[in-house]
Amino acid sequence: MPFPLTHLVYFSPELILIIGFVVLMIVDVIRPLRRGAGIVALVILGAAAIAAISAWPGTSQTIFATYAHDPFALFFKVFFCLATMVAVLFSLFTFKTDAEYYLLLVGSALGMSLLSGAHDLILLFLAIEMVSIPSYILAGVYRGKRSSGEAALKYVLYGAVSTGVMLFGMSLLYGLTGSTDFEMIRNHFLQESTSPITLFLAMLFIMAGLGYKIAMVPFHFWCPDVYEGAPTPITAFFSVAPKAAGLAALLRLTVTLLPEGWEAGWDWPVMFTLASAATMTLGNLAAIRQQNLKRLLAYSSIAHAGYILMGFAAACFLGFQAVLFYLVVYLFMNFGAFFAVDIVARKEGSETLRDFRGLGYRAPFTAVVFAIFLFSLVGLPPLAGFIGKFYLFAALIQQHMIPLAIIGILNSGVSLWYYVKIVREMFLRDPLKSEPIPEGVGTKLLLLFLVVPIVVMGVYWSPIIAIAGEAFKLVAP
Amino acid sequence: MFGSFFPVILFLLAAGGLVLVILFFSSLIAPHRPNPAKNSTYECGEVAEGSSWIRFNSRFYIIALIFIIFDVEVVFLYPWAIVYRHLGFWAWLEMAIFLVILLTGLAYVWAKGDLEWIRLPEKETESSAETPLTPDNLRN
Repeated sequence: MPFPLTHLVYFSPELILIIGFVVLMIVDVIRPLRRGAGIVALVILGAAAIAAISAWPGTSQTIFATYAHDPFALFFKVFFCLATMVAVLFSLFTFKTDAEYYLLLVGSALGMSLLSGAHDLILLFLAIEMVSIPSYILAGVYRGKRSSGEAALKYVLYGAVSTGVMLFGMSLLYGLTGSTDFEMIRNHFLQESTSPITLFLAMLFIMAGLGYKIAMVPFHFWCPDVYEGAPTPITAFFSVAPKAAGLAALLRLTVTLLPEGWEAGWDWPVMFTLASAATMTLGNLAAIRQQNLKRLLAYSSIAHAGYILMGFAAACFLGFQAVLFYLVVYLFMNFGAFFAVDIVARKEGSETLRDFRGLGYRAPFTAVVFAIFLFSLVGLPPLAGFIGKFYLFAALIQQHMIPLAIIGILNSGVSLWYYVKIVREMFLRDPLKSEPIPEGVGTKLLLLFLVVPIVVMGVYWSPIIAIAGEAFKLVAP
Repeated sequence: MFGSFFPVILFLLAAGGLVLVILFFSSLIAPHRPNPAKNSTYECGEVAEGSSWIRFNSRFYIIALIFIIFDVEVVFLYPWAIVYRHLGFWAWLEMAIFLVILLTGLAYVWAKGDLEWIRLPEKETESSAETPLTPDNLRN
């Protein structure tokens, strides 16, 4: 035995997800569960999250030579389980669907957990596919609806191309270094000289593949169409979880592979600076003219990917800490915004700006909470979005990257315009219809669950930022 | 500069160049006398029936997908079988777990009726829950 079997203990969150997945599948065949499957999925994901929390802070070693067991991976495992749980809860309110849907969500959570720990190019690739393939199916889960089918097809086609490009980049990296293990690749870079052009191409291709997952400009084209066509809980899920997974993989890849102060061929802070500026500018400018709220939030999520990439561009501890903190905040506010949109869309049948006119009179609770989410997305104090952005900008200023910081601040100004447009529509205009929109107790509870962290983290964020700092410890620093 | 991949580039260039040269000379030398019979799909005289852009039954894809999964499984089994003697019990256990998970998938597909070549209408309603998956039913 090359590896002691006791190492399987470090694998417990994933094992829980795998066993839960298989058991749920078998149970569903014997006795169809429908909505009950959602409850079971919640239990499975909760158990996996607890397993990951109890393993904190990990042993900081690579198990099975391919898998990192470090605070970074555990942080993201908890994050992904939490995000998927919120998606499941969200779906329980919206959908009447069968167990397959929840199975796919659990499968996707498993893929993301694997991605957070992947310490080998092959495992990284497999994990990305494990996230992608359930995502394609989830995008098309409204079987009778054309736009849903269109979303799924676009997602598959773009996904296939970008995966191919990324795989080609990985093969170049393997050709350069003769290894797929991150640590071996890094050591090779430190010890021997490599062809800078080939390395540049390899990293550019890998960045394209991961950039597709996080909807980074210029790989964002699929994003608005897929987000608009997919069912809203799935859209919310896509905008948070696979995006965070892509960012986690990108973070581990760049920080582990490319030693500090080593810039032959691939100056990644510069690449991330360009990508960040382009992503947030395009996202915000395109969002201004959107009438469909799901599309608007899709562009807003592109813009947020740009803000998060500012932390990458800063390329320092503070920057990466800010990235992790921002992701936590982003989870709550983005899910919240999409949930509020869905509450209205369920009643009205569409989600254009007009449907939100006078929402403050028709559904006061939802409208107020939605406004809080929107203000947090803008980054207004005293909400958590402000603190998240503050740390990102602080990192930039610490690294003397003033131009990018200015672009970021200008972008925040632009984003204020279209977010506040929604708030104005909700509160300052008379409703087109007077009948109230039903807000059930469960709906209100989920909204509260999402809004309370936003408000609390806006004034008391030190524990979360401390955890984010602790979490940024990778196996091979 | 190109290292050990230089012969590969040479080979690609030579192969691509040869194709271009052959195409160029054949277009130069060959006579151009087209007529309707010659331009038809089958020069042997067989008349083509309808368009080839027809809709395929989506069953083909489902069966093909399931086939690929088990095809890949066999690819995994080969190297495992070769070194099996050296690895012993744990290798057997690992592969057994792998196969059980795959077979669970097959059982799932079977139980959901996706292996039936023609899905009977009553089977359809039985397997896909009491609320069929249409947008109207998905939203409450």
